[in-house]
Amino acid sequence: MYEVAGVAVNYGAAAAVSDVNLRIDAGELVVVVGPNGAGKSTLINAMAGVHPVASGRLAVDGQDITREPPHRFCDRGIAIVPEGRRLFVNLTVRENLELGSYRAEARRARGDSLKRVCALFPVLGERMDAPAGALSGGQQQMVAIGRALMARPRFLLLDEPSLGLSPMIVQDMFRAVREINAGGVAVLLVEQNIAAALGLARRAYVLDEGRIAAEGEPANLLSRPEIQKAYLGT
Amino acid sequence: MRTALALGAIAIVLCAVPFVGLPAFYESFLYLLLSAIVLATSWNLLSGYSGYFSFGHGAFFGVGVYTTAALTGKLGWNFLWTLPLAALAAMVLGVALGAVVFRVRALRGELFALLTLAITFVLATIALNAVDGGPGIMVNADIPKLAPTASGVLYLLMLAAAALTLWTAYAMFHSRFGTGLFAIHDDEDVAEVMGVPTYRFKLAAFAISCALAGLAGGIHAIFVSYVTVAETFSIALAVNVVLMSALGGTRHWLGPAVGAVAITVLLYAFTSGQAAVIGRALTGLILIIVIVAMPAGILGQILKRFRTKTAPVRLPRSEESMQKAVRHSSEPILLVRGVAKAFKGIQALAGVDLEVRRGEILGLVGPNGSGKSTLINVVSGHYAVDGGSIRFEGEELVGKPAHRIARAGIARTYQIPRPFPQLTVLQNIALPPMFGQVVMDRASAEREAWRWLEFTNLADKAHRYPGELNLHQRKFLELARALASRPKLLFLDEVLSGLTPAEMDGALRLIRAIRDQGATIVFVEHVMRAVMELTDRVAVLTYGKAIAEGVPGEVMRHPDVVSAYLGAAHV
Amino acid sequence: MPSATLLGQSVLSGVFIGALYGLLGLGLSLSWGMLRQVNLAHFALAFLGAYVTFQLAAVAKVDPFVTLAITAPAFFALGMALHWFFLRFSVTLLNTLLVTFGITSIIEAGIQWYWTADFHRMENAYAAVRWKLGPLFLSLTDVVTLGFALALAVGTWAVLRFTDLGKAIRATTEDAPIAAAFGVNEKLLGYLVSGLAAAVAAVAGLCLALNHTLAPVQIYAWMGVVFAAVMMGGLGRPIGPLVAGIVIGVSEAITMAVTNPTWAPLVSFSLLIAILLLRPARFS
Repeated sequence: MYEVAGVAVNYGAAAAVSDVNLRIDAGELVVVVGPNGAGKSTLINAMAGVHPVASGRLAVDGQDITREPPHRFCDRGIAIVPEGRRLFVNLTVRENLELGSYRAEARRARGDSLKRVCALFPVLGERMDAPAGALSGGQQQMVAIGRALMARPRFLLLDEPSLGLSPMIVQDMFRAVREINAGGVAVLLVEQNIAAALGLARRAYVLDEGRIAAEGEPANLLSRPEIQKAYLGT
Repeated sequence: MRTALALGAIAIVLCAVPFVGLPAFYESFLYLLLSAIVLATSWNLLSGYSGYFSFGHGAFFGVGVYTTAALTGKLGWNFLWTLPLAALAAMVLGVALGAVVFRVRALRGELFALLTLAITFVLATIALNAVDGGPGIMVNADIPKLAPTASGVLYLLMLAAAALTLWTAYAMFHSRFGTGLFAIHDDEDVAEVMGVPTYRFKLAAFAISCALAGLAGGIHAIFVSYVTVAETFSIALAVNVVLMSALGGTRHWLGPAVGAVAITVLLYAFTSGQAAVIGRALTGLILIIVIVAMPAGILGQILKRFRTKTAPVRLPRSEESMQKAVRHSSEPILLVRGVAKAFKGIQALAGVDLEVRRGEILGLVGPNGSGKSTLINVVSGHYAVDGGSIRFEGEELVGKPAHRIARAGIARTYQIPRPFPQLTVLQNIALPPMFGQVVMDRASAEREAWRWLEFTNLADKAHRYPGELNLHQRKFLELARALASRPKLLFLDEVLSGLTPAEMDGALRLIRAIRDQGATIVFVEHVMRAVMELTDRVAVLTYGKAIAEGVPGEVMRHPDVVSAYLGAAHV
Repeated sequence: MPSATLLGQSVLSGVFIGALYGLLGLGLSLSWGMLRQVNLAHFALAFLGAYVTFQLAAVAKVDPFVTLAITAPAFFALGMALHWFFLRFSVTLLNTLLVTFGITSIIEAGIQWYWTADFHRMENAYAAVRWKLGPLFLSLTDVVTLGFALALAVGTWAVLRFTDLGKAIRATTEDAPIAAAFGVNEKLLGYLVSGLAAAVAAVAGLCLALNHTLAPVQIYAWMGVVFAAVMMGGLGRPIGPLVAGIVIGVSEAITMAVTNPTWAPLVSFSLLIAILLLRPARFS
């Protein structure tokens, strides 16, 4: 289980996230939705060690990892698919994937992981030696997810994977996410595309202005007036 | 009055030096000191003020040296006439170089430094082969009897050059030219958007800097009387001026002079063989310590300590009426048609059509990545468009440089505030009025800035630096800065995100007040409450296109808009 | 117009001097491209290595190649120390230029204090070995320099291209926080690259000592042209500066053979200026 307790994260001088409590159980698929500026990316980055935590506690299987150096987070089984993908654009697709399995344990299983990623995203198999920056948005998203999978994570954190992608590709991508989850990897999905995201998960959090505004089953959440107000103002 | 008297006294003392009968060694030392002051201060005019670090100051100095050496030494001209020519030659070269280099956006920072270094080597080679021929040039000049000794006369000449240079530095520092350069130093792109004609200013600063170096070179040719390429175009000079300015402080007009005195004294305190070596090592060590411990330089650090923390002087309030009639007219102040912009394969704007009516508050909304910020960036001239037309009050903006667009009366804030970090809050806000529609001088601009400081409740932070403000205050600084040029059209890019509800109420009130003064506002926001309360009309962008435009209540219920935001259920 | 033999010999000597430019440029390119530090002191360090090699060879009668066993590790440590310094004091890119200039002054003064400003030439058995290639002459020391330059440039390229470590370095250069999310320790790599760059300076120093007469003032003479080679060859690239260095060396040599030698710098620096103006985007 990945537990986030009372976590506050600053972005520059401002508090982007204040007092967030959430958890992901092993093998679960949890979704975090919320309007822009709510602090979703900052939260996910903090959970992956990419951004420092100002106060609170991050714990994996009971072990406090809050103050661990950034390059140790992946050893805890955490992998991130960052907002905007953040691929290493000057490296090839293959090299990006290989880097995903940089940590020792993942490196040993590299061959197997590569096969799995190619099975999940067949189109990548043809573009292995292309520089990552040359791929289309949707393909880049696949590489980003593949890179994270190469780390053999137990907790996969996805930050707005549908951003900038056409609806059809988004469909494919969410299907892949479901498959990954079915394989035993816990997934925390942060999404702007609220309706699609809520169709995936059995549990969701709503983040608004840096705090958890609501938690519960997706079907209930979508109809709640405060969600409508937060997103649309009506 | 007092300063004038003090300056006068100093001038008399300095001019009297050659007549006091000092040994030639000291006269030479003072000459070299003054020369260092001229070179360091002139270098700083471009490099310190604007941040374009040149490693080629030696080249322009060398051009001056060789102009005088060739004209006097080889052609026998009276050397005094060659001095303005030396300055001119250096300046022409600088302008020629700058005209090309400053147009290339990517040539900043270390690239500019290396380019100027390369120029030095090229010029040295040309001078060696075309002018000098190898053995150097003997310069035997007739030195007018202005002082008892020849070195005394040269001292006086260099004193005049130093006075000219220091005065130039002082004048630039206190003018809007200088403020513009400092803004370029901090954030050139934003400076351009705020109305600073960056290209022209950089070129002018470079020209002045080179001319002064050339002048010093011309005088130096007479001083050494035997000119060689190796000595003249040495890399040592290029690096020494950097050292001196960094040591003294590049952000003040007097800083380089302080550093020049310090380093010259240090270097010449050791005159004999072994000691010179220690002197160089010591200089190196001091440079390291200063860069690390005093990034602002000696003078800079001292000034920071003594910065007045007393209550700022309140300048009289402008008597102008703050209320202007709000004219809602149906003719658009801004007409955007078919605007397209792509970045590395991502089509950020795919043919946007938008109309902004005079005197309204238009909300611009849309999901993340829909192109809202990009639209602001192309209208304000931060980016060039790939296609389409943008007409402001009937005039086409596409193709105009950003500073002209600012002059026309368009202002914007940045989503993530981009204040000039090394200018105070007051200086930040005073910048657009200096370069906006009505070009004000510094004093008037600061008066104008005070008005907006009070309007946004930042008056007590006037002399602080942006780094000391919290996010809310920095957003208001952005706002005040955008307002200070009294724009006709104002783009607000997510000024409300990150604010507490209480702060937000204050911000909304402020924005309404701005509109009541006659500005048209386009307001990009995610905070829906604000959009619903504040806007007259709303336009929705998705995937780089405007899909709806109209009254907020209706637009936000439109099925296309709802699905754009909430997304259709695909899974 | 000089004879074919003379021209050929010029080209050859241009290749060898270019190899040395490339060798000096390798460390500079790596620390500039990968670590965003402009290490002017690289040249002073190379010269220090040359002088130490000279001292050990001339005075202690140690075989010059063996001195590498001492200088390379020592310089590796120095490189790491420099990196520590830059990290500790958060020195910005432009300031690394100034700080390393300060260090250059200190090293240069140190060299002059110990070895004086006089010229020194390392006499060794290898200097005398020459081979004949048709009508042209090749000296052992020249070939050794070229050998080192090629080996180190290609070796570095191979490491960057094929090993996990190399990919990690390239990834960190692009996006350090995300690389860290996948286990790449940015600090450790920084020390490694810094140390290696300095160790390469030691090798360059050996080659300098083998082939050239040493004088402290020469530290500055090489700076300009090696910077040109690095900028033309590409920041962070190992082979580019070598190729650029050879191009510069050969063009200088041909210029020297065909016209007045003093025109030579014009060629290389004009090339640099042209590249900077026409393709500046390569360097950002």
